[in-house]
Amino acid sequence: MSKQRWGSRLGVILAVAGSAVGLGNFLRFPGVAANNGGGAFMIPYFISFFLLGLPLMWIEWTIGRFGGGFGHSTAPGVFDTMWQKNRFVKYFGVMGIFGPVVIFSYYIYVESWLLGYSVFALIGRYADCTDLESMRAFLTGYQSLAGTEHFPAGTAYLFFIITFAINIIVLSFGISRGIERCCKWGLPLLLVIAIILVIRVLTLGTPDPARPENNVLKGLGFLWNPQWAALKKPEVWLAAAGQIFFTLSVGFGVILTYASYLRRNDDVALSGLTAAATNEMAEVVLGGSLVIPAAFAFFGAAGIQSIADQNIFDLGFLTMPLILGQMAYGQIFGFLWFFLLFIAGVTSSISLAQPAIAFMEDEFNLTRREAAVLFAVVTFLLCQPVIFFLGNGVLGEMDFWGTTVCLVVFATIEVILFGWVFGIDRAWTELHAGSDIRIPRIYRFIIKYITPLMLLTILATWIFNDWKKQLLLEGVEEANRPYILITRVGLLGLFVFLLLMVRIVWRRRPEATCPETDQ
Amino acid sequence: MRLDGILFMLLSWAVILGLFGYSMFRTLSPKHRTELDKQTTQPPQNGETP
Repeated sequence: MSKQRWGSRLGVILAVAGSAVGLGNFLRFPGVAANNGGGAFMIPYFISFFLLGLPLMWIEWTIGRFGGGFGHSTAPGVFDTMWQKNRFVKYFGVMGIFGPVVIFSYYIYVESWLLGYSVFALIGRYADCTDLESMRAFLTGYQSLAGTEHFPAGTAYLFFIITFAINIIVLSFGISRGIERCCKWGLPLLLVIAIILVIRVLTLGTPDPARPENNVLKGLGFLWNPQWAALKKPEVWLAAAGQIFFTLSVGFGVILTYASYLRRNDDVALSGLTAAATNEMAEVVLGGSLVIPAAFAFFGAAGIQSIADQNIFDLGFLTMPLILGQMAYGQIFGFLWFFLLFIAGVTSSISLAQPAIAFMEDEFNLTRREAAVLFAVVTFLLCQPVIFFLGNGVLGEMDFWGTTVCLVVFATIEVILFGWVFGIDRAWTELHAGSDIRIPRIYRFIIKYITPLMLLTILATWIFNDWKKQLLLEGVEEANRPYILITRVGLLGLFVFLLLMVRIVWRRRPEATCPETDQ
Repeated sequence: MRLDGILFMLLSWAVILGLFGYSMFRTLSPKHRTELDKQTTQPPQNGETP
């Protein structure tokens, strides 16, 4: 089977950055920053970026390229080549396929809402919703699939089908002609739209002259004025580490898969840095200048705290359309807002699909089209419980296992494997093979000691604080428990199925062969 | 917005935009682009699809 490759270096960087830039950049970051010390939050944020995010980014790029040299594009194969003496390590790599498939199965539905709302914004379908309650009723009506006065029955399902089809079509064209081309157009377009929206928000001034205290400058102050006392709170440091961890798309196994399509001597150090910096620019400079300043200008000090406390769905689908609707040309800006998020969603969801497709291509010798079709059939079925039992906690359960658990555990395994099993000397040499920059030597120490320690701290804190509650379904309504338990059993079944697939593949394959020498 | 807020915002932006500008410049600089073009425009090897 021929090995796919990226068409250009910028293409793979934009694909990785596109995977990282998502809803969290524009909706999660501003709320987390404002609630955790404002400007002072940036101190633990930057420390986490340099000690946790950037090392993890380099690790995934490096081990992905290393595994790709052995013909593996997914975590089971890559882990196996990194620790050939251990028969079991490949099974831990299953998380690098399972997690992205689970996340894809609900993420794509949320992504389809963004497409639907882009159209609704453009045609003024929610224009008569003038408060949070009416916007919530609009969203609930849309999610329920029942017809309302705003749209006919099944509208949400129609947008889901369209979004799903767009993703599968892009994926079926492969790495260079599908994913790379999509991200090469999508990410610059996303950044241009974000800049247009930022300029519009920053030039709002004081929208209501009768309330001069409600202005954009004060909104920026709400986000950036440092509250020094926050730095003494451990939860602020943990929030910063969590934000960095989630925003960079590390720990999914996605970057690892993307990097496996590089050649042996393609740079990974500078490329990883560029992808991370692009994501940070989208998050801090653009994301930080949109929601909070705009919300403050319209809702003032009294309303801003409750807005900053909102979850990302409420902020994105309820509050922002209300704010943008109050501006001149609100329909256009509403459309740009949702279309911006839709593009961010597409570039992320196609990356989530790639590990599973690559696994089928590499290990079962399926063609790209066959793998994409099989992936489409399986994930289409997995999407149905999310769509039809959305209000019963199915999405939250999948999010917990796919994102919270898999991400942290997988990243912890990766970093220990890289720094300790693979060995820091060998890892350092591998990281710098073909490199265009020299990474400061202090990162040898950081990768071996600091990054694993930070990850283990995050893991321990989350287990202590959240996991018990989630595992025992504390606080879950009695009526929703069967749905959540069935989802849990289904996810366990999927995980076991993937373990068996790995076992079958390895039983029938010869021992690992020498790396490719295509340079 | 307080002065320290403005300073924090501008400092954060400067760090990130500096990092972004530096890494993009290095990535797109003609020297590296030429090296890459050599790699990526060569005909497929060993049955590779481009």
